[in-house]
Amino acid sequence: MRCRIFVALTTTLALSGTSLRAHDMWIEPATFSPSVGDIVAVKLRVGQDLLGDPLPRDPALINQFFVVDGEGRKPVVGRDGSDPAGFIRVAAPGLLVVGYRSNPSVVDLTPEKFNQYLKEEGLDAVAAVRARRGQTGGARDLFSRCAKSLVASDAPANGQGDRPLGFTLEIVAERNPTTMAAGEDLPLRLTYENHPLAGALVVAINRAHPKEKLSARTDKDGRVRFQLPRTGMWLIKAVHMIEAPPTAGADWVSYWASLTFELQDRASVRSAS
Amino acid sequence: MKNRGWVCLCAAVIVFAWTTIATAHEIGTTRVSTRFEGESYAIEITTDAASLIEKLDAVGGSPTDATTARVDAAAMAKRLVACDDVFRQRVTVAFDGTDARPNIHYTVSPASDAMSPLLATIRLTGEVPRGASHFTWSYSWTFASYALSVTNGSLASTTEWLEGGQASAPFALAAPPPPVGRAAVARQYLLLGFTHIVPHGLDHMLFVLGLFLLSGRLRTVLAQVSAFTVAHSITLGLSIYGVITVPSAVVEPLIAVSIAYVAVENMLLSELKPWRIALVFAFGLLHGLGFAGALRELGLPRAEFMTALLTFNAGVEAGQLAVIAAAFAIVGWHCRRQTWYRQRVVVPASLLIACTALYWTVERIAPEASALGSWL
Repeated sequence: MRCRIFVALTTTLALSGTSLRAHDMWIEPATFSPSVGDIVAVKLRVGQDLLGDPLPRDPALINQFFVVDGEGRKPVVGRDGSDPAGFIRVAAPGLLVVGYRSNPSVVDLTPEKFNQYLKEEGLDAVAAVRARRGQTGGARDLFSRCAKSLVASDAPANGQGDRPLGFTLEIVAERNPTTMAAGEDLPLRLTYENHPLAGALVVAINRAHPKEKLSARTDKDGRVRFQLPRTGMWLIKAVHMIEAPPTAGADWVSYWASLTFELQDRASVRSAS
Repeated sequence: MKNRGWVCLCAAVIVFAWTTIATAHEIGTTRVSTRFEGESYAIEITTDAASLIEKLDAVGGSPTDATTARVDAAAMAKRLVACDDVFRQRVTVAFDGTDARPNIHYTVSPASDAMSPLLATIRLTGEVPRGASHFTWSYSWTFASYALSVTNGSLASTTEWLEGGQASAPFALAAPPPPVGRAAVARQYLLLGFTHIVPHGLDHMLFVLGLFLLSGRLRTVLAQVSAFTVAHSITLGLSIYGVITVPSAVVEPLIAVSIAYVAVENMLLSELKPWRIALVFAFGLLHGLGFAGALRELGLPRAEFMTALLTFNAGVEAGQLAVIAAAFAIVGWHCRRQTWYRQRVVVPASLLIACTALYWTVERIAPEASALGSWL
C-alpha cells in the first residue's frame, strides 16, 4: 500500500510542473570496499557539496540501474519507494561499476536561477547563445542523470578499471582510483554520446572538505587530470546542456554526469598491493 | 487517405502525450504535515535523520562523526536537540507574514531493520496568533521535492508539493463560506461555460464559424462539431484532473493557428474530407486545454467538483450551438444552397477569419512584436 501511495504521489507531482532547482545527484554505496559475499546498500543522493537528501527508488525515474562486475551486467534490485534505492551482492573480488541513468525531469527556472546555474556549471556556450539571441527570460530545462560509482572488493587487480557504460554523458576514470593513493595523478575522460566532449567543466569534491573544490576544463580529447589531495569519498561531476528539440516541451536539455569513489591513504594502497 | 488521417492523428497524440507526461520529479523522503486545532497548531516533519544531521553540522561548523551518529537513535536525537538554533535558521512558520517561534521537539525512531535509515520526527507546536488569517511555511533542510499537507480541523485540507526553501502558498485559517447547493453550482457553471464562448470567447466563436462555413450541408457541420466536442471534452477533463499539463503560452498560439487553418482550408475546399474530421478532432484537443485554463482561473468548488466540470462543458457546448444557430439564422437556410453562396459568403468570411487568427497567432507568440506594431 505504501508503494502504491508513493507511486501515486510521484505521478501527481510528475504532472504538476512545479518549479525547482537542479542539484547534483550521485550514488553513495554503504561501503566502497566491501568483502566478497557482502550485500551492499546503494543509496542515491541529491544535493549540493556532497550534502544530500536520500532519493528513494522511483520506478518512474529509473531508466537504467545496474552494476557491472567481472561476470557482466546485473540489475541493482530494490523495493520501490524505499531508501536505500537498491542493493548489490559482491560475487567475486574486483571492481564493480554501479550505474544509474534517470528519465528526464522538468525544471522551470527564473532568469536569475537559470543564469546562476549556467555560471556554476560552466555552461558558457549556452550563456553565449542566449546572449547572442537576446534571451533574458527564465527557461525550462529537461534534465537527466548519468551517475556512476566505483566499488572495489578485496583489492582489485591493477588491470581492472572503470569502464564506459554507454550513458549519454559519462565520466570514465582512465586509471583505477580505488588502487590509487591521495595525491596521485588521476586522468578522467568525459564523453557525450560516446564521443569525447571538449571544453566542459569537470569538478571534483571531497566529502570531508566539500568547499575545497577542484575544477578543470576538458581538453580536445575530453580529458582532465586531477591530483586529488585528500583521502575519502570523492565526487567528480560535469554537466552538458544542448538546445531542446521542438517536441521536447522544454527550452534546454541537460545531462548530469557524476562519478563517486573512495581514495585511500598511501599506506593502505601499499599494503593492498 | 482516411487511414493516413488517423495515423497522423495518433502520431500527434503520442508526441503530445510524450512531451507532457514523460517527466518525473526527484522526490525525497521528507514529509511535512500541519494540523490546526482550535487556537493551536502542530507541524510534524519526518525526514532522514543522518542527512539532516550532516547538513546541520555543515552549517553549524562541526563535522559529523559518521560512525557513531548514524547508528544510535538516542545519540542522533541528542545531536538534533543540540543543533536547535541552527535548525530554526532555515525553517519558517509565519502567520500573516510574521514569523512565529514554535516549540520544537526532536525524536529519532530506531530503524525497523539494519538496512533501513533512521527517521527523525520533528514536532513544531504553538498557538495561532489571535486574528491570524493565513499560514505560510518554508523548509530549507532538503534539496529534494517534498509534500506539505495542511489540515484545519474539519474545515479544509490541502497537499502542496514544495522544493527545499520554497515558501508554501498562504493557507487560509478562517472557515470557508457555507457550501453552495448542487443546483446553484450547476446553474452558475453552465452560465460560465456559455459566456466563455458567447460573448467572451471570440476565438472559439470564429473556430466554430469556420466549421460552419465549410459546406452548406447540415451533416458536414454536425460531423465536425461532434468530433470537436468529443475531443475538447477529453482534454478539458484530463487537464482539470492534472493528468496533462501544457503551458498556456503553447496552447493559446496553437488555438489561433487552428482557427487560421480551418479558415484557409474553407477557401480551398468545398466539401468534407476525411482528414478534416481528424484535424478538427486534434484541434478540439487543443481548445479543450484552453477551456481547462479558463476553468482553472474561475476555480472549481471542492464539494461539487464534478458538477461544475460537467456543467461548464455543457455550457461551452450550448455556446457553440448558439453560434451555429445564429449563423444559420443570419445566412438563411436557402442561401446556403445558392451558387453565389461560396463566392460571396464563404470565401470573404473565411478570409476575414484567417487574417484575424493570423494576427492573434503573432500576438500570442510575441506580444512585444504586436505591441510594437500597434504603437507604429
